[in-house]
Amino acid sequence: MNTNGTVRRRTGLWHNEDARRFVSLVATGVLIALLTGADGSQDDSLLAFRESLLSIRLPICVGLMVLLWAVFYVGQRRRISLSPAVTGAAFRQRLRQMPVVRWLLIVAVVGAALVLPPFLSGFWQTVLVNQVGIYVLLAAGLNVVVGWAGLLDLGYIAFFAIGAYTTAYFTGTLPIAPPFVVNPFVAIIFAVLACLVAGVLLGTPTLRLRGDYLAVVTLGFGEIVRIVALNGDDFTNGPRGATNIPHPSITLPFGVHFTVPGLDWKVDWDGSLRWGIDSLPYWYLLLVLTALVVFLLSRLEHSRVGRAWTAIREDEVAAQANGVRTVRLKLLAFAIGASTSGVAGVIYASKVGFISPDNFILQYSIFVLAYVIFGGMGSLTGVVLGAALLTALPEFLRDYVAAADRPTYLGAVLVLMMIFRPAGLVPAGRRKAEITAQQASDPPGSSVQQADQPEAGQPEAGPTASPAGAVGGGQ
Amino acid sequence: MSLQEFCQFTILGLTRGSLYALIALGYTLVYGVLQLINFAHSEVFMMGGFGGMFVIRALLGPSPGMQSFALATFYLVLGMLAGAAAGGLTAWVLERVAYRPLRKRNAPKLAFLISAIGASVFLFNFAGKLWSRQPQFVPQFFEVNKPIFDIFGATMTLIQVVIVGSAFAMMVFLDRLVATTKLGQGIRAVAQDAPTAALMGVDIDKTISRTFVLGGLLGGAAGFMFGMFSLVQYNMGFLPGIKAFAAAVLGGIGNIRGAMVGGLLLGLVENWSAIFIDTKWSDVIAFVALVLVLMFRPTGILGERLGRSA
Amino acid sequence: MRYQTLTRALLIPVVGALTMTACANSDSNNTASGNDCVTGADVAAVAASDGGGAATTAPTTGTTGTNTGKTYTIAFLGALSGNNPQLGINEANAVQLAVKQANDAGTLPFTLKYTSSDDEGAPDKAPAAAQKLIDDPSVVAVVGPPFSGTTKAAEPALSDAGLLSVSPSATNPALTSQGFKTFFRVVPPDDAQGQEAAALLQKYAKSVYLVDDTSEYGKGLADVIQKELGSTSIKVTREGVSDKTQDYSSIAQKVKNANVDAMYYAGYYQGASLFAKSLKAVGYSCLAMSDDGTNDDQFIKGAQDSAEGWLFTCPCADARVDPKAKSFLDAYKTEFNADPGTYSPESYDAANAIIAAMSTISGDVTRDKVVEAVKKVDYAGLTKQVKFEPNGEVSGKTIFVYGVDNGKRVLKGTTTDLLK
Repeated sequence: MNTNGTVRRRTGLWHNEDARRFVSLVATGVLIALLTGADGSQDDSLLAFRESLLSIRLPICVGLMVLLWAVFYVGQRRRISLSPAVTGAAFRQRLRQMPVVRWLLIVAVVGAALVLPPFLSGFWQTVLVNQVGIYVLLAAGLNVVVGWAGLLDLGYIAFFAIGAYTTAYFTGTLPIAPPFVVNPFVAIIFAVLACLVAGVLLGTPTLRLRGDYLAVVTLGFGEIVRIVALNGDDFTNGPRGATNIPHPSITLPFGVHFTVPGLDWKVDWDGSLRWGIDSLPYWYLLLVLTALVVFLLSRLEHSRVGRAWTAIREDEVAAQANGVRTVRLKLLAFAIGASTSGVAGVIYASKVGFISPDNFILQYSIFVLAYVIFGGMGSLTGVVLGAALLTALPEFLRDYVAAADRPTYLGAVLVLMMIFRPAGLVPAGRRKAEITAQQASDPPGSSVQQADQPEAGQPEAGPTASPAGAVGGGQ
Repeated sequence: MSLQEFCQFTILGLTRGSLYALIALGYTLVYGVLQLINFAHSEVFMMGGFGGMFVIRALLGPSPGMQSFALATFYLVLGMLAGAAAGGLTAWVLERVAYRPLRKRNAPKLAFLISAIGASVFLFNFAGKLWSRQPQFVPQFFEVNKPIFDIFGATMTLIQVVIVGSAFAMMVFLDRLVATTKLGQGIRAVAQDAPTAALMGVDIDKTISRTFVLGGLLGGAAGFMFGMFSLVQYNMGFLPGIKAFAAAVLGGIGNIRGAMVGGLLLGLVENWSAIFIDTKWSDVIAFVALVLVLMFRPTGILGERLGRSA
Repeated sequence: MRYQTLTRALLIPVVGALTMTACANSDSNNTASGNDCVTGADVAAVAASDGGGAATTAPTTGTTGTNTGKTYTIAFLGALSGNNPQLGINEANAVQLAVKQANDAGTLPFTLKYTSSDDEGAPDKAPAAAQKLIDDPSVVAVVGPPFSGTTKAAEPALSDAGLLSVSPSATNPALTSQGFKTFFRVVPPDDAQGQEAAALLQKYAKSVYLVDDTSEYGKGLADVIQKELGSTSIKVTREGVSDKTQDYSSIAQKVKNANVDAMYYAGYYQGASLFAKSLKAVGYSCLAMSDDGTNDDQFIKGAQDSAEGWLFTCPCADARVDPKAKSFLDAYKTEFNADPGTYSPESYDAANAIIAAMSTISGDVTRDKVVEAVKKVDYAGLTKQVKFEPNGEVSGKTIFVYGVDNGKRVLKGTTTDLLK
């Protein structure tokens, strides 16, 4: 843990790990006191500080933190450190050795997703669809671009917008009349096509840019799409957006008609499925779509294409030299991500029935990216979980903290998560496998938990082995 | 379009652009040494605005009236220093809390991005809680709109002269600092090759920390000037931050002079475009220009690398 | 090497420009003084006495004093966080105050509770926020949402649940023609304000620069004004500037260069106060007008002396200006340690109209009964006589004009008075 101590013998209170931890925990206590305390005022910049710090709140918060420190301190002195057996890494490894457990977990989660929602309140059903379901789809799509192909996309929400506006267009709710009006289900096809085209149009000229240059271009693209939607009154209805987008419906070619003899129980269903204002049917629709997308993507991950993406992510030049068609594959990643986002756009538009440029602001692009990395870039399970947790978090907080403070907690969770689990909630198996493989050639003793051991550090970042990594390693 | 009109919008563009450039320097410095986009830099800027405003307010009260030239200059410098101090402090804390632990754990590159985004979201909402979410303003203590001189009939006002002048002074200062001082040498060494720099006796941790502070000082001072010229608000950093980030990339991220050129150019393009078309499209124009430049110069106008810049 | 060429490249235009200052154009500054335009101060201030409707501050329609012990909730739905929370906070506070006062008066046969649900002002969060209230069986009526966009997103669910919502500030004209069964509003739609604003502009100006903030509200209003002025001889220049802009200098410069008699800004106070400052900086001194979103003391706080002479059209009687609403102002200030802001009085009226309607209901109060009762309500509010048309629009459509005089907002009169 303490890399400083081993290399440089620096004494002094500040360089003492425990003292430092004490100071940071006390600072955290003060922060918590302020965060849970009173709101400030425009005219009196010290009001919030006075109210929060001169009350009983401060000693309580700081006291709790000092207590926490003491527990740590005593724990460390007695060397009750957590053994690898109970840390996540070892646990996961054991899980991998027991596929039954893993399958059971998956079945349990899917089962819960199927069975639980009808028992939830209408609010949670709405949150499940409007926030969780939609963003899970978005995150799964972005994962292809960022997690697998390693392309940083900061304008991803633009494709969501294109999907939603395509739906609005083809359901005849925009000022320009479409050639024919279709059901939102059919609009999925057009939305996917539109997003594919947009993805390729954006990708072709820009994909030769690397890393952060690509990031800023995609960011620009996202803003351009939003501003065009905002200002293109004659086509998109400007800030008024599209209203009354219809709900999807479908008539299956078969119905279900039977009676149970003896009982007074008759099923008479003509095969039509209609979605409406109720959230529950949308949840199952999203569940089916997400399952489909996750299944297709997970097939892709282990295919030739998926391996090629990994190659590009790790070292583009080497990949190209080995015959990987980098441009084409990067375009493919872009297009797949875009079309997934487009599907989410269709569902969102028809669920809420109203879209406006306010739905597609830059912050949302950044949030989706945060969900992907929070969950564990490149790991489908992680990304789905991450998006679900982080979209539900503000809604959980609704009952406990002031509305305006919710984003503050979200921010804190992001920072803490990255400090303590930098690879995300469920780190990607493939990346791990790569690292383990590399470590296998290292001398024994460099252990499983690479996160805590900078000495064994192989930068996970991919092509640009950042000096950050090197710095850690050099210490 | 008359020459006067062109000059007028050029002045506006220079004013806005020099603020962009100052903020962009923060992005570029950090990128230089860490190859990371410091997404929380916009909050450094915001804290600078608050810091400067609080000092001016504490010294002069909410409506101070016009001060004499000497006093106004004194308060101006003081406000800028306060803004810079607040910015520098914020940047230092940011590096300590949101970056260093990740570096020690050898986190993947994008983890830093999310940590920075989280820190940014936390900071600006927290500032909104502590100091209210209403827009606030730096009390005016000198005649900001006093015309100073004319260029082809286009007037440059005092505040514009102050912003452009001090921004240029700071940029030259930074450029010289990086080119000539020991600290600058350290920064360049880390930017070029951190492990080797470490072997040569450069304290990497300290250098990185100081780089953050340096960027924070400039960003904070920019925040105060922005506050005088526009407003101070918890979310004031977001848009200038994004623009300055784009400017840094436009000029060639990691390249100090690139950030200056990129910032000025972005400010100028935004304002020049306003001459011809509706201002509601100026962001689109700016981003289209950015994409076009990057298509022909994929590493920005002046290219990358802080290390090679001098 | 590189350093020198670059510095030179950067400095040449600047230095060049500086050395050529001698060519200063002498007649560039004549627009402000040479243009004989009307300013805000010239607009006749009519005696403010006929301001609001008959104002009674407490709901007095209560039938009996016997409390049945039942508790019902009136909720506020709207932005309490996010990018533009102030309108929502103004409104939420007023609802809270109305509920408290009604309970304190003790004339109601039931006890009222207040709750709120935050939609962050974001259309994608609005349906869930509305659903939160729908799920709570004690909620019988909702005040909100403040914005038209969130209203469109939330209203299908509210309408489906039969839960009444009375918006104090969603002014998009289309809202009442979307088939939302339980949507009412206590403000007239944009077209009412737009028409009156256009008439005023027509009276005082020959050329108008119309600036909207590209928000749904600003653009909608500006569209109405432009359409109205389009049929007259007045020259209209239309431009948009994003409401998130923090630097209005280029648009201000354009307004100044256009040499117009009047400028109308359709948007909210935050943008307007920065815009006002920039307009003053470039030396624009003709008539500057804005709308109810700007009619807020925060505007003056931000724009300071640049606010002087601005006029606002507003379908609202302002509690701070209307002497009759003093008791509301005092109560609000005691309760929240702040002045009521834009749409606080409307929101107060909406809540009180709902309470008045509820007090006419015999037996248990249900959501359906509340909707039916509100359709018949006739309540003398602070801002107007609250009485709804069948489509949910409020009957009274008086537009008031406010102005900034000596750093204070004052009522200049109704548009009818001013247009006489």
